[in-house]
Amino acid sequence: MTPPLATPAPRLNAAVIEASHLNFAFGTGELKRQILFDVQLRIMPGEVVLLTGPSGGGKTTLLTLIAALRTMQDGELTVLGCRLQEARSSQLVRLRSAIGFIFQQHNLLGFLTARRNVELMFQLHPHVSAQEARARSIQILRQVGLGERADYYPASLSGGQKQRVAIARALVCQPKLVLADEPTAALDSQSGREVVNLLVNLARETGSPVLMVTHDARVLDVADRIIRFEDGRIVQS
Amino acid sequence: MNSALGVAWQQLSHQRVKLVAAAAGVVVAVMLMLVQLGIRTGAMESSVSFSRRINSDLVVVSPRTKSIFRSAQFPRRLLYRLPSDRDVQTVSEVYISLAQWKNKWESIEHPISVYGIDPSRAMLELPGFSHQATTLQLADHLIFDSLSRTNYGPVNDALRRQGTLETEVNGRRVKVFDSIAVGISINTDGNLYCSPTNFLRLFPDRPPGSIDLGLVKLAAGADADAVAKRLQPLLGAEARIVTRQALVDAEIAYVRETAPIDFIFGMGALVGFFIGFVVVYQILYTEVANHLPQLATMKAMGFTDGYLLRLVLWQALILAALGYLPGFALAIGLYEVAEKQIQMQFSMTWERALGVWIATLSMCAISALIAVRKAWAADPADVF
Repeated sequence: MTPPLATPAPRLNAAVIEASHLNFAFGTGELKRQILFDVQLRIMPGEVVLLTGPSGGGKTTLLTLIAALRTMQDGELTVLGCRLQEARSSQLVRLRSAIGFIFQQHNLLGFLTARRNVELMFQLHPHVSAQEARARSIQILRQVGLGERADYYPASLSGGQKQRVAIARALVCQPKLVLADEPTAALDSQSGREVVNLLVNLARETGSPVLMVTHDARVLDVADRIIRFEDGRIVQS
Repeated sequence: MNSALGVAWQQLSHQRVKLVAAAAGVVVAVMLMLVQLGIRTGAMESSVSFSRRINSDLVVVSPRTKSIFRSAQFPRRLLYRLPSDRDVQTVSEVYISLAQWKNKWESIEHPISVYGIDPSRAMLELPGFSHQATTLQLADHLIFDSLSRTNYGPVNDALRRQGTLETEVNGRRVKVFDSIAVGISINTDGNLYCSPTNFLRLFPDRPPGSIDLGLVKLAAGADADAVAKRLQPLLGAEARIVTRQALVDAEIAYVRETAPIDFIFGMGALVGFFIGFVVVYQILYTEVANHLPQLATMKAMGFTDGYLLRLVLWQALILAALGYLPGFALAIGLYEVAEKQIQMQFSMTWERALGVWIATLSMCAISALIAVRKAWAADPADVF
């Protein structure tokens, strides 16, 4: 008898995301439409992974599953040590607060200035003092090149600037994982490029792994690894 | 600013016009509730104000009397049996009836309440009445209530200018020589005070031996309830003796029973509550609906439903606080206007101020609880 090949990895090298035999379908009965077929995925700390492929291929669905926003159906998925198929909803909420999210739309609160939008995230981390929250928010806005515009409302920022505030918001609490869903979709090529560079550089500084869904061929070079997704299956990794 | 309260304030204050509109809704609600409840209490209090002015320990009334303003008479001789008891110090009779007052400026007659009270044994809180004991003894000399309504003519002005005023009451020539400030009620538009002798002159049909109220003052330290029980047999079935408080309670019960004060003004207050609820709900709901993608994003990022509730609830409480103070001030102003217009006393009580504050808080909180359900229903997975 040979010992199993896969021995539990030491804690430091544990995968941030580990999916095995992941299946997912929308609808039931006749209307049932399977989106994900037997997905195997493993992302290690510090990795920058891009998820590409034609739209409707299930990339975003995979992302929402990893983000603990959908109920698991079949297979196993462990994110940041939390086994999603058996976690309680309070654990899922706690897990989400450890993830930095960036969406196609910036979805900033229009009634808060850029700085306050970033600062808002510290309400999920009440042990951080108000002064520290403020200082860190200003600091990260400087890092995304918006130090001068920290007190602007979103309405008076450009699309690229708003998305940079969203990046600052996603990273200010030093998430253990960053999930980005086509962050460049609403931007022109130049600001799209800037935004992705900022995101990847900041994430590398803090050591957060990044999983980014993108169609944008111009930004593929930032990735450590590109996963191509088609019809619910990983076709190339 | 690092709290749900701070964010709530930012959200509300971002659009000043909206904030003012929402607060105005609460202002109207608070004002309506305070004014309606104030008038309710004012009407109630004024209609029992005469009985509250009684300061004798016990009161004798006819068993048929439901209210002092609709009193039946009882024989005076019964009242004078009471001083035989060792605890009874003084007794005094009061005559009450409605007369026709002639407004001599317009030559129109208006009904007015007339009280025949012995100034030397008044046992009533009528400041300025007993001082005029000597003049009150003069034939056909009366004192006018300066808080009477204006349809009796500019009596107060005339008294100030000329000192006295001659007119007709029940077709008899009388002389008004002074005024005291007592107050009117929903039962009566104006009052005249005089001695029992002058009262009987105005009402020649009334037998002097039949009185409306008997006031009984007891010796110091006597137990009013016990003495009332002991005295009742002396009066027989033709008169009833009660404590002052029992009389006031009976008056309140009578007003409740005959005038739909509670219903009318209670309904008015409820309408105020409802207006406030609808306005606050509309504002909060629009805020939630307009920010639905952002709120869903917050949920995706790990904010709980509880946090969203706090966010909306704080906005509701801010609106409550912003609306309450101006609403309170407006209500006080309206109390004063109403006092001038209808010469009835309205005053703010701590109980009412606190009660309406609690009603305002719950009005806003209920609005928030209903409005937040839309945010709760938002699916954060839809943000992607």
